[in-house]
Amino acid sequence: MTDAMLPDLLKVTRDSLPALRALLADASATLKDRFTQDGRLSAAAMEADQPAAHGLAWLATYVEALAQMQDWAERLDAAGKFGPMEALLHQIAFGEYLAQIFGGIPMNQGEIIRLADLGIRATPDQSAQTLIAKGNTTAARGALVGLMQDNAGHATFGTSGLDDELEMVREQFRRFADDRVAPFAHDWHLKDELIPMDIVEELAELGVFGLTIPEEFGGFGFPKAAMVVVSEELSRGYIGVGSLGTRSEIAAELILCGGTQAQKQHWLPKLSSGEILPTAVFTEPNTGSDLGALRTRAVKDGDSYTVTGNKTWITHAARTHMMTLLARTDPTTSDYKGLSMFLAQKTPGTDADPFPTEGMTGGEIEVLGYRGMKEYELGFDGFKVKAENLLGGVEGQGFKQLMQTFESARIQTAARAIGVAQNALEVGMQYAQDRKQFGKALIDFPRVFGKLAMMAVEIMIARQLTYFSAHQKDQDKRCDLEAGMAKLLGARVAWAAADNALQIHGGNGFALEYQISRILCDARILNIFEGAGEIQAQVIARRLLG
Amino acid sequence: MKVLVPVKRVIDYNVKVRVKADGSGVDLANVKMSMNPFDEIAVEEAIRLKEKGVADEVVVVSIGVKQAQDTLRTALAMGADRAILVVAAEDIHDDIEPLAVAKILKAVIDEEQPKLVIAGKQAIDNDMNATGQMLAALLGWGQATFASEVAIEGDTVTVTREVDGGLQTIAVGLPAIITADLRLNEPRYASLPNIMKAKKKPLDTKTAADLGVDVTPRLTVVSTAEPAGRSAGIKVGSVDELVAKLKEGGLV
Repeated sequence: MTDAMLPDLLKVTRDSLPALRALLADASATLKDRFTQDGRLSAAAMEADQPAAHGLAWLATYVEALAQMQDWAERLDAAGKFGPMEALLHQIAFGEYLAQIFGGIPMNQGEIIRLADLGIRATPDQSAQTLIAKGNTTAARGALVGLMQDNAGHATFGTSGLDDELEMVREQFRRFADDRVAPFAHDWHLKDELIPMDIVEELAELGVFGLTIPEEFGGFGFPKAAMVVVSEELSRGYIGVGSLGTRSEIAAELILCGGTQAQKQHWLPKLSSGEILPTAVFTEPNTGSDLGALRTRAVKDGDSYTVTGNKTWITHAARTHMMTLLARTDPTTSDYKGLSMFLAQKTPGTDADPFPTEGMTGGEIEVLGYRGMKEYELGFDGFKVKAENLLGGVEGQGFKQLMQTFESARIQTAARAIGVAQNALEVGMQYAQDRKQFGKALIDFPRVFGKLAMMAVEIMIARQLTYFSAHQKDQDKRCDLEAGMAKLLGARVAWAAADNALQIHGGNGFALEYQISRILCDARILNIFEGAGEIQAQVIARRLLG
Repeated sequence: MKVLVPVKRVIDYNVKVRVKADGSGVDLANVKMSMNPFDEIAVEEAIRLKEKGVADEVVVVSIGVKQAQDTLRTALAMGADRAILVVAAEDIHDDIEPLAVAKILKAVIDEEQPKLVIAGKQAIDNDMNATGQMLAALLGWGQATFASEVAIEGDTVTVTREVDGGLQTIAVGLPAIITADLRLNEPRYASLPNIMKAKKKPLDTKTAADLGVDVTPRLTVVSTAEPAGRSAGIKVGSVDELVAKLKEGGLV
């Protein structure tokens, strides 16, 4: 195993970072130049060369990811916790990501971005050359998987770097997911059932719905880092449960950031206790990522607003009690400025009558994965919302209010991606250990252990980027960039993990009976919802160039 | 009524145990450690007694290395009120023998004066199944081991015990020692608010020397070995051959 490990690893990886930062600065300056017309960043020029703009976002994501890996490694090293598994994860991460930076970064399987596309040329310096040549070798991947097979009961492959309290949270939710979620998830998926109410009730008892809501509003005042750990562990059991658990959190954040004192006092304790389950009602048939263009109207009529319009892709719409509903209150506008957010009450539906609320109809959209809460399209015709339920009490603030929750929503989604990826890795590894072909276990073949090693490495990279974003958020520091990067990378990592874990299963993975088939379907949503990969890259690029 | 629950930090029940190369014991370096599952059941039972209003305080005690405070924090997060850590070992591989544990617990009990002790029936690391019984003897208290049901009325505790071939119900006067068996209850998950509260609950640290207990081992571990691996089987062509082979091997 020692042959697989680079000497002076932390120094070599540390030495490789300044050149990467310079490379990123060079690429940003070059593209800024390319996209600037008449002294301003031109959206048209940027769009015409979308691959380069989005490629810059990916390059920045890689550089930030490696910087966070270095930070993690050095913290562990100082605490005496940087063991062989952590060293191999770190080494392979640098070896592989450096090779991709200089050779081509896969934004997905079909779109590779190269430095030449960004208009820059660079050759790896000495430390990068060493890492590219010797970092991600078959021997290193084999050594890592050898250690992973004997992980001595630890929840993560490699120390997470989080504190003891957060690890206690992880431990409790891991057990809950193993006992109460994982054994049933595949059945819920196959039968396309809603997650049973007793699970929802148990989540409420465990305090999931009030995780980061301040104690004065009936919550538990945990840091966002705890929300990340809970989302990870519940999503490792089933993405639906991980999502259900922490979506109240996002609704609560909307109210915390934009609500009046009376709205906070009314809604937050009920969200925290799970008495009110919320659903987010933003997307319309013709407006997905381009939310500013949405057309659902809310017209004030005395003490209430009357809502008319169509919404779609509304998750968990039937069984919930409250909608965070985005609608246009100023008909003279056609952009985000005329939008307002409502906290609209509705009556939870039953199987027989999913939408009993007056002025509201709905139909289910059947989906590949991410079931458990179900997706719906909704029609509003004469639907009433009390004027007091206009978020913040002032019209025209809806888009801004929603934007304030994007950081948390992206951090949460990155955490869900990590949980799904971890599940894929564990399921794939178990199969690779159990299944024998050509006289040995699959896991002993380099193409199989290599897949598992890369999953573990990329999961740790996505973790560190996500934990960093959460810590920034907890210190009230802006983290839209890092949160977006974590979500962007996490979604690719989860999909790759699910796809490769299914590949390890061979034909069996294609059978509905095997749970990896569900994990693949569930992983696919992660690069679509909460900002599709392309939009995410666009937002990151605009921040870098702006 | 105050209830005292001893908890032990042991190798996690999911971990595949590995014997050290020199056979001197089990390798615990960098291995996940958790609360002994039977102790978890004991903690749960004590918390339930408190929730029923039978107990008014639950004190948890752990004896061993200082990392055992993680185990105590878990017990506090489940709902115990207070924790006492007795540091009695430096190295995680130094196991404290049941008699020394019982003596330390007796010293703690002399100070704390609980009316009831609920312990796990045994620890899953070395399966001694002795501490509760030894403690009862040292204190001169009654004992009800292998409990699968506990009911307290006044100064009497009625315990259903899991014994060979069935169940036995006994009544014991308080103060008493109960040891918990697997079916006594299903321990809860620590909720987020309780994990938060656990941070603020008191955790006192003492040493075995403070309590005047000598923990020098009295037993010698001669050797530790993993169970023998399964040897290869053979295929037989007929029932007659099977019977012949079984006879040959002295198995029938």
